[in-house]
Amino acid sequence: MRMQRKINPGELAFETALYLFMIVVGITTLYPFLNVLAISLNDSTDSVRGGIYLVPRIFTWDNYGQIFTYSNLLVAFQNSVLRTVIGTIVGVFSSAMVAYVLSRKDFIARKPVSLVFVLTLYFSGGLIPMYMLMRDLHLINSFWVYILPGIVNAWNIFVIRSYMDGLPYSLQESAKIDGASDLTIFFRIILPLCKPVLATIALFVAVGQWNSWFDTFIYNSSAQHLSTLQYELMKILANTTAGASSADAARAGDPSVAARVSPESIRAAITIVATLPILTIYPFLQKYFVSGLTLGAVKS
Amino acid sequence: MRKKSKLLALSMASVMVILSACTGSNSGGNASEGNEANAGANGGSPEPITLTMFSADMNTNYENMKSDVGKKITELTGVKLEIDYPVGDPKQKISLMAASNEYPDLIFAKNEVNMLVEAGGLIDLAPLIEEYGPNIKKLYGDYLKRLRWSKDDPSIYFLGAYGVNEVQWKPKDGFMLQHDVVKELGYPEIKTVKDFENAIRAYLEKHPTIDGQPTIGLSLLADDWRIAQSVTNPAVFSTGGSDDGEWYIDETTQKPVVHFTRPEEKEYFKWLNHMYNSGLIDPESFVQKYDQYKAKIASGRVLGLIDSEWQFREPMQALRQAGKDERTYGMYPVTLNETFQNRNFQSPGYSGGVGVAISKDAKDPVRAIKFLDWLCSDEAQILNNWGVEGIHYTIQDGKRVISKEEMAKRTTDPEYGKKTGIGVYLYPFPEYGAGVTDATGQTYKIENEQQIIDSYSDVEKEVLAGYGAKMWKDLYPQSSEFPVKPWGSAWQINIPQDTDGAITMQKSLELLRKRVPEMIMAKPEQFDGLWDSFQAELDKAGVHELEKQFEGLLKDKIALFND
Amino acid sequence: MENLSLLQPATAVPARKRSKWRLAFEQRYLFLMSLPFVIWLFVFSYLPLWGWTMAFQKFKPGRTFGEQQWVGLDNFVQLFREPHFYMVLRNTLAMSFMGLAVGYTIPVVFAILLNEIRWSPFKRSIQTISYLPHFVSWVVVAGIITKMLSTDGGIVNEILLALNLIDQPIQFMAKGEWFWGIVTMSDLWKEMGWNSIIFLAAISGIDNEQYEAAKVDGASRLRRMWHITLPGIRPTLMVMLILSIGWLTSIGFEKQYLLGNSLVQDYSEVLDLYVLNYGINLGRYSFGTAIGIVNSLVAITLLLLSNRIFKRITNESVI
Repeated sequence: MRMQRKINPGELAFETALYLFMIVVGITTLYPFLNVLAISLNDSTDSVRGGIYLVPRIFTWDNYGQIFTYSNLLVAFQNSVLRTVIGTIVGVFSSAMVAYVLSRKDFIARKPVSLVFVLTLYFSGGLIPMYMLMRDLHLINSFWVYILPGIVNAWNIFVIRSYMDGLPYSLQESAKIDGASDLTIFFRIILPLCKPVLATIALFVAVGQWNSWFDTFIYNSSAQHLSTLQYELMKILANTTAGASSADAARAGDPSVAARVSPESIRAAITIVATLPILTIYPFLQKYFVSGLTLGAVKS
Repeated sequence: MRKKSKLLALSMASVMVILSACTGSNSGGNASEGNEANAGANGGSPEPITLTMFSADMNTNYENMKSDVGKKITELTGVKLEIDYPVGDPKQKISLMAASNEYPDLIFAKNEVNMLVEAGGLIDLAPLIEEYGPNIKKLYGDYLKRLRWSKDDPSIYFLGAYGVNEVQWKPKDGFMLQHDVVKELGYPEIKTVKDFENAIRAYLEKHPTIDGQPTIGLSLLADDWRIAQSVTNPAVFSTGGSDDGEWYIDETTQKPVVHFTRPEEKEYFKWLNHMYNSGLIDPESFVQKYDQYKAKIASGRVLGLIDSEWQFREPMQALRQAGKDERTYGMYPVTLNETFQNRNFQSPGYSGGVGVAISKDAKDPVRAIKFLDWLCSDEAQILNNWGVEGIHYTIQDGKRVISKEEMAKRTTDPEYGKKTGIGVYLYPFPEYGAGVTDATGQTYKIENEQQIIDSYSDVEKEVLAGYGAKMWKDLYPQSSEFPVKPWGSAWQINIPQDTDGAITMQKSLELLRKRVPEMIMAKPEQFDGLWDSFQAELDKAGVHELEKQFEGLLKDKIALFND
Repeated sequence: MENLSLLQPATAVPARKRSKWRLAFEQRYLFLMSLPFVIWLFVFSYLPLWGWTMAFQKFKPGRTFGEQQWVGLDNFVQLFREPHFYMVLRNTLAMSFMGLAVGYTIPVVFAILLNEIRWSPFKRSIQTISYLPHFVSWVVVAGIITKMLSTDGGIVNEILLALNLIDQPIQFMAKGEWFWGIVTMSDLWKEMGWNSIIFLAAISGIDNEQYEAAKVDGASRLRRMWHITLPGIRPTLMVMLILSIGWLTSIGFEKQYLLGNSLVQDYSEVLDLYVLNYGINLGRYSFGTAIGIVNSLVAITLLLLSNRIFKRITNESVI
């Protein structure tokens, strides 16, 4: 509709190929998710037989019912939301700030500071020293262990910086001549222009926060009120797997207690429960990075 | 200018966010500590105490002691258990405990207990048991000495888990055939691998497809560690060995060998190679994943399996749900040839190599051991197995009786354990095994032989009748035919982790997982060469040194168990 | 207020004429904005590096630092003498190079193509759908892939049979030499959409006016993609590439572990799994740490090297 200019044959072929390609990509990437959805809505004993693709064979809500009977889920959900919101805001803001500093080619400490940051991506002291550090900082059994260690992340910083490098330097320069301080430039000029990349990093940080369970396991597993959704879901899955088929279940299990649902169905339902909340925030972030930017608006 | 000051304020605010995050962390920490301190403040008549516990095994049935059984325990003992059941690798948590030298009151460390003993994190329970543990002594009886750590250190660091004096009613492993196979063939004798092969072949020729899909003779499973259940352990079981993990121990000389170096097992794998080349083994056996394997079984077209019972429990349920009882399996004690006996029912005695320990940080070790002792009492054992009298069972004519409705709930409601607390405080705590009776002559556990027979399907009963048996165990050589193994179960003897032996074991297992499938899938004439090179590789990896090391460990264990 | 007015004359004077200290003072906001985070980083990333001492000990968790037994370079010597190590290193590098070649370029192309779609609802839907597999765990994805490639009714074999291209189903998962390819393709399928988000964001940072101007000049679609879009995201492209090159030796083990089986083990075992099996699982924390150190040193060398090369060629760099 919008293409009012006359279309040449090459252009038309390109368009057709493009749309066809995208449709193929769409179908192949939608499949696993739909498959998981179908399995999550299928009777769990029946699912063992396999052969479920896009529609459930014996429809049931039981697999979800099974998950929602766990009592600690609400607290865990709250913690997950809280850590995601706080972690994302703090993480994005601080990364952007450092990124701006490092994007300034005239900053005298640019090289050493960049190096100090980038190296952290390639080493780690290991679990034991990390645990001891958290213990000495009194972060064991504390909500803040979810936030503090991840406040600055070098990868996020360099992604944001690379985006800033792509912005025309003239904008900053003219602001400087107008007498704006570095802070002003950062808040007034750079941040608004960086919406696409900030939205992206926000997405990455949010998904990372939302999906992580290892920190709960290591630092907060004995504090039930600090549990997170992913951790509780992991527990449910582990329990189902252990209960369904393991030597210990055979040795220790009371055969008079009924078997739980199969791990495959629970895993499917868990995938959906864990993913949906993140999917709902997606459109709000997406709008920032799928549409182009017009710098003219900012210039004036 | 005005703008600038606003910006300054903003950046100050950002610093504040970070600072407040810092202080927030402290308050967060304090809050949780406060909760812990308050938790024990409400309780019954005995002085209330909260015992914290770490468990290496998951149990999501844990109900924070809020169920009927949980409340009863607190009422009777004053103890509230706060159990941390972490998901993920428990080894990591335990190494952190040892590294930071901070422990909860009670610890179930499972196989990592070595690390805690070495770190000095556990206390010796022996003197405490002597003073406060009459019920513990009664529960373990003579086996109490088997809980001692080693010859050099006779301390008792934990109370062994798993039922003591358990009677085995079901075979654990075996060769499986669909009921329809043996029925149609007129209940042929299934004693050797040849019998097993012939039955599969005969039925397969008659029925090349089942429900429109191609019939599969025998499907094996090699998905990661599960290869042991379906491929490598059966090699030792069918050649006269009992379940000693990777070991075969000669009964008279008590010399251990890594079982897959035995010439007898070469013959077993050769038979599998022959089966593969005859097209009787599913060609996907060594690439399929566990869920594919289960799906195939559940489709009802796999005639035979060689596996442990718990590996195919789920597809069996699916088959029964779909009304295909004739496609479920019977278990047969197959051996390589008539000279071997299947030792599935040979008793290891009691060797509970894992269990609950009391840490050096325990607030009140006496209180803790008293609690564990109470858990061993008849009162606690009955409470944990049967439930609360008047709610979950009643007493009629001096016997405990579970009503039909309650029994139905027990067997069908997956949430039963969580709702009632029944079973939650058994494993990994001490417990009597199935078949052990109390003073009234009734078993501590609710299960019994009749219950197992009742759970059989009609086809199953028919097939058993065809073989002149009442239960599957009747087909196997009985427990009484074998001596009790003086070393318990050899798979519970840990090779110290920082020795070369542990590395050799890991390498040998890796070789085993790689070479055995290759060997089975090879052309028959290549088999011998592949076996020889496999043995050469094992030799190079140091299995014979490992055997020497293990022989020492085994000797110590036998001495410890039987002095 | 006074503070701010001080700033005025300073910014007006050309930078090179003034001393370093003066410059540092002028840039005090830049220091203020970055130094707290450098300290932060020091605490959370650099302090725990004392753990590297474990590589020179026979570390046991229950002992204090003073009680540990020191063994010098034993753990490193042991590692480099182990033939197995070289095999897992080969597998790791092979799969990470293939992953880099495919898993880096295709998302870029995908992002650029997606940007060419004008019908916004379609563009948004495809973009949303394409990253969904990222949220499906590897266990599930590996299950789907093994089923698709199965000889027992797997869709790939069914299609090939129907087209008469083969007359016997192919055991895809049993062929070691195909394993690297299968892993690479699976990874592409799962992560393409997700990895392209970053490039999409970079593309949306390109000024629309540039496209308008090019259109007026009559530049074709391909030319606009080549001359505007690609150069527009060059900084992002380069930074992502350099950072990824540093990660060549650490690719995790989950997908290889879940897709592999005993028949392809010689091709599927990677460094991170080796660390797990022969390090942590055997309680050999020191050995695991030693591998970690070697890994970090390799990574940092690769990073600095590629950083230097790209700086020379493209003038873009991380440091």
